[in-house]
Amino acid sequence: MGSLVAAGVALIAADHLDAMAVAGTTADITDFYAFEGENPANTVFVANVQSSLAPAGNDATFDENVLVEINIDNDGDLVEDLVIQAIPRDGSMYFFGPYAPTATGLNSTIDTSTELQGEVVITTDDTAITSNANGISYFAGPREDPFFFDFSQFNAVIAGMAPNGFNVPGNDDFDGTNVLSIVIEVPNTLLGGTFAHPAGTGTQVFNTWVEAKRKQ
Amino acid sequence: MKTKLYTLFFSGLLAFTTLNSCSNDDDNLMIDDDDMMETVDFTGTYAQQDQMGRPGINTVLSGSTAIKNSFNVTIPSEQGAAFQPLFLDQAVALHAAFGATYETNILGLDAPTLTTILANDVLQVAPDAPTTYFDGTNVLTGRNLTDDVIDVSLILLFGGTTGDRFNGQDTDGDGEPDLPILVTDGVSNAGETPMMSFPYLEQPH
Repeated sequence: MGSLVAAGVALIAADHLDAMAVAGTTADITDFYAFEGENPANTVFVANVQSSLAPAGNDATFDENVLVEINIDNDGDLVEDLVIQAIPRDGSMYFFGPYAPTATGLNSTIDTSTELQGEVVITTDDTAITSNANGISYFAGPREDPFFFDFSQFNAVIAGMAPNGFNVPGNDDFDGTNVLSIVIEVPNTLLGGTFAHPAGTGTQVFNTWVEAKRKQ
Repeated sequence: MKTKLYTLFFSGLLAFTTLNSCSNDDDNLMIDDDDMMETVDFTGTYAQQDQMGRPGINTVLSGSTAIKNSFNVTIPSEQGAAFQPLFLDQAVALHAAFGATYETNILGLDAPTLTTILANDVLQVAPDAPTTYFDGTNVLTGRNLTDDVIDVSLILLFGGTTGDRFNGQDTDGDGEPDLPILVTDGVSNAGETPMMSFPYLEQPH
């Protein structure tokens, strides 16, 4: 029984299909990346949604009722000080921020009066359509899923069905799959302050995380 | 699908917003099919359904569907208190399945400390230092597209002091592995070739 339950819930990846209430829906976040841009004065955020779209799933689209919100905590209290919001409308992805939200937490609204705004036509084929405003770059559309993981063997390990653990080499179950990506590259000057890393390394950092929020 | 309802705190103030304002028509607020003005509605309240900071945390350390669902609708500042004890239980259970107990890991973190760090599911990002999940020198300063976050997570959870604790070792010299492989999934980033410039991710299949 325990093994069956574990096998049932361990369909996964980095966050792909991480929980049944959201798995497979248009609000399922599959992955989140944050890294230094080609211009080292910028940080790139990548939010991927809708897991493991096979090539046949390339007609998947962003949901106009789902707001993807990147949260930034500049003082280490795990509460967002800035948000970057992305939401699709009629073939374009609209972006708001970074800006300080009037309220934090589980519920969000979109402040359409915020200064930093941008939009980009959602890419629908192999050629990426990008745009730029205020030094911020924008992209939204299908991309190859950069995640790599032997997801099947992980499930076996978690389910107690793999006494020898993983295989070397393993099999990348995400090879040949796509996701819907939102990519935004932001000058660090727009991302607020930093604090000493909570792990004690001394490196100056901010916290970030992504949320998918559905219109009520 | 959601079992939890949230109070809608946003009541009115429903204002239609024009994003693509037509520069030569600023004083005309009427919608006219013949001009370029576009009216886009961004009103409403959006309630959280999924959340993610670091890769794999909810997947690996939440031991049940109920915990996973709850974790996704818990804000980071409340995750530690609510989920660290559950994550610790799961870390213990994952080891027990292989007849083992957790050993202080390569970063010197015992199980309570590791699960305390991981229960706050946010990603630290260093704007002025190399960004990486772990590159041997820098730890948790971001996440690159090619970072092997699964192996890093497995090493931190199962790797013990050396990081290599469960790696298929032959402990009795008979030429056969006696320990399971738990510190790598055997998949490298070799197949991933992101672009060097925006938007970085490869074109779809």
